[in-house]
Amino acid sequence: MTVIQVIINSIIRASELTLLSLGLTIVYDILKFANFAHTEFAVVGAYLAFFLSVTLGLPMIPAAIIAAIATGFLSIAIDRAVFKKMRNSNGIIIMVTSMGVAIALRNTVRAIWGADARSYVLPLQSPLVTQWFRITSLQIWIIIVGAVAMILFHLLLHYTTLGKAMRASSDNPELAQASGIATEKIVTYVWFIAITFASLGGTLIGMETFLLPYMGFAIIIPVFCATIMGGIGNPYGAMLGALVLGFAENFGLYINFGKVFNLGGLLPFSRDMFIPTGYKPAIAFVMLIIVLLIRPRGILGKKKEG
Amino acid sequence: MALAGVSFRVDQGSITGLIGPNGSGKSTCFNIISGFYTKDRGEIYFQGEKIENIEPFRLARMGIGRTFQIAAVTEKMTVLENLLLAPKTQTGEGVFNVFFRAAKIRRQEKENYEKALEILNLVQLYDLRNEYAGNLSGGQKKLLSLGRILLSDPLFILLDEPTAGVNPTLIKDLIAAVKRLRDEEGKTILLVEHNMKVISEICDKVVVLDFGRKIAEGTPKEIQNNEKVLEAYLSGSSKHESIHENS
Amino acid sequence: MGFINFLVYLAIMMGIFAILSVSLNLQYGFTGLANFGQVAFFCLGAYATTIVTLTFNMSFFLGLIAAMFLAGLFGYIIAIPTADLREDYWAIVTLAAGEIVRIFFLNEDWVVGGGPYRGGAYGVGDIPQPFRSHFSAQTYPFFYLGIVLACLLVTYLIVNRLTKSPFGRVLKSIREGDDNLAQAMGKDVKKFRIKTMAIGGIFGGLAGCLYAHYYGFISPQEFVPLETFIVWAMVIVGGEGNNKGAILGSVIIILFYNSTRYLKDYIPINETTLASLRMVAIGVLIVVVMLFMKEGLIKEKKRIY
Repeated sequence: MTVIQVIINSIIRASELTLLSLGLTIVYDILKFANFAHTEFAVVGAYLAFFLSVTLGLPMIPAAIIAAIATGFLSIAIDRAVFKKMRNSNGIIIMVTSMGVAIALRNTVRAIWGADARSYVLPLQSPLVTQWFRITSLQIWIIIVGAVAMILFHLLLHYTTLGKAMRASSDNPELAQASGIATEKIVTYVWFIAITFASLGGTLIGMETFLLPYMGFAIIIPVFCATIMGGIGNPYGAMLGALVLGFAENFGLYINFGKVFNLGGLLPFSRDMFIPTGYKPAIAFVMLIIVLLIRPRGILGKKKEG
Repeated sequence: MALAGVSFRVDQGSITGLIGPNGSGKSTCFNIISGFYTKDRGEIYFQGEKIENIEPFRLARMGIGRTFQIAAVTEKMTVLENLLLAPKTQTGEGVFNVFFRAAKIRRQEKENYEKALEILNLVQLYDLRNEYAGNLSGGQKKLLSLGRILLSDPLFILLDEPTAGVNPTLIKDLIAAVKRLRDEEGKTILLVEHNMKVISEICDKVVVLDFGRKIAEGTPKEIQNNEKVLEAYLSGSSKHESIHENS
Repeated sequence: MGFINFLVYLAIMMGIFAILSVSLNLQYGFTGLANFGQVAFFCLGAYATTIVTLTFNMSFFLGLIAAMFLAGLFGYIIAIPTADLREDYWAIVTLAAGEIVRIFFLNEDWVVGGGPYRGGAYGVGDIPQPFRSHFSAQTYPFFYLGIVLACLLVTYLIVNRLTKSPFGRVLKSIREGDDNLAQAMGKDVKKFRIKTMAIGGIFGGLAGCLYAHYYGFISPQEFVPLETFIVWAMVIVGGEGNNKGAILGSVIIILFYNSTRYLKDYIPINETTLASLRMVAIGVLIVVVMLFMKEGLIKEKKRIY
């Protein structure tokens, strides 16, 4: 494995994470709670896409898009039924509730589709292979979709009325509400955008690997990590956090720490030391702890008063 | 509001008032002195010792007691329970002690309980002692705060708008209590107030802030006639306050 | 399983989870620490006792102590750098910490002695049952139930004593999220949080130990975050901030969880699907209770002196 391959893997991973962390950060910011069900929506979307494409026979792209939209609406429904009633509740209560929603969603998927791994039916990938790296067209798509999502989001945020309203609500919620920006309407849009992105992210991950009911949980810590590292409420932070984490995870597994410890051959210490792949989630965790201890507001986060 | 160039001295056994229009930095000042904010520059001396980056609870243990502008109470505990938090060295707060020093703890609890009842009487909250503190009115919460200050027996007391929201009939008792703290118990008090009557009645000295700076210092009488002070109140941040208001 | 045996099984589960529930209630209900990684204590306790009694062949009591010590230590260590974090960040951190513990045992099979098909994802079996030889196969479960109930009683008495003491009073003053009052009254808030986590850990470890010796087999699969949230459901349903509620919550949730166990004999439903639906029900239960009954069944009692 060459460094270039690691870089490519990092970018792919960052792209997947961005689709998820963007949504998480805006929900966290506008609705003021950590949505533990966020990645479960991604899973629901991925399985819906599976249903549409494999069971119903739709082509993959429309299936993914329709699934994303459907999941977006589902999230609005769940917001209305559950979270809306808790707008003024204490943070922990909403978090625990979102965990309840997560458990319910995850296991509904499991009840319907079973615990075994599922796969999309995709055309055989002929990867691009050079002496330095290898990349499949799916992976290129993942990078493209991630990038397009980021651009679209940026455009939304800065060139639409909704975007302006979102930024206003984010910077100063009381003032926004007082000046008549219809915050409930914004909430609806925020959920929709956040969850459609998440659903696409889940679908792409499912396409790259396979679908398992608990895959949402597998990714929740890295997504939270990326979001918090970048600074909650800052979509660019979410993108940055995803990038940093993508690189950290892949380089973390790639670097031979034995070489680091013996200073590249200077010391008579020769052992190969790699972080075992089983510990990949631990990388996200450690980074999260470090960020929270040193700079809790994240790289691009806003400073809170007092 | 950031502070720049605020410097004053609070004499032991005196009551000093800290006034200024809204946003002039009074709360910031309080928060820095009591350790809730960290300062970037400057020095604070307490009883001759320099205080540097000490956590609020340590300052509280050293004898700096304070109340908060929005009275801090634990909502889901009764008034009495809230008050019982006040005594500083409670053996029962240590985990091992709970099991191995039960007799001593029982004794302390009894003593504190009795003292607490006395204080509840003083601040007229006796009848509400078993009520959840969260159900009290704002003014009553202020009284509870004063109560816990009394029970915790600090050396230096910071009172943040002690009369705001308090029933006018109780203000008199409150003032009497504060005066007694100085006269009979030799406490040192710094208070932020908007009620000028209170200020003129009990303060030995008044410090005036505006836009984060000290603009005047002197006796209440001197301050009331100070041009800079009048100007600060009549222009700028607050047009509604009047230095001569009888509120 | 005979009906009586099933009841004994239920009672043992209720007892073990009641200990977990009381422990979590101390952390969340009294101190406001939203520990989303409670399962870590459970897991550490189970593995600690397994290592001590199985790998090193030492007595059950040593296993018990090791379990409580290791879990308590973990609680202490995790709390030190994180005790002042905002409550939602802290929940995330503890969730992650719980996962790291599980991943550790998933990867490091040597901890339980290694050997083929042992440790790591395979789990560990043949965990010795304390005093097994003194009893027959029929009476042993009752004896074990006795051990569990004794541990629960001790747990309840200790935690109850603590929460009713001045120590508990300070905890309650910290839990509302605003430290100002406690700080202003000279309470070292961070230290209280750390101590609470250590104590919570000790009892979580106790439960883990009892669990390991009862089942005789443990694997990382059993220590997933879902376990934490089952305990959360117990604390919430029973009523936060009171210890009896925690125990009641455990009884209710375990009953609920097991009530559908025999359903598959009557309804043609697949085992996995049933298990999943049970989980869905737990999730929905958590949501429903949070929406309509977040005080729980037993409200916290007002302290009148």
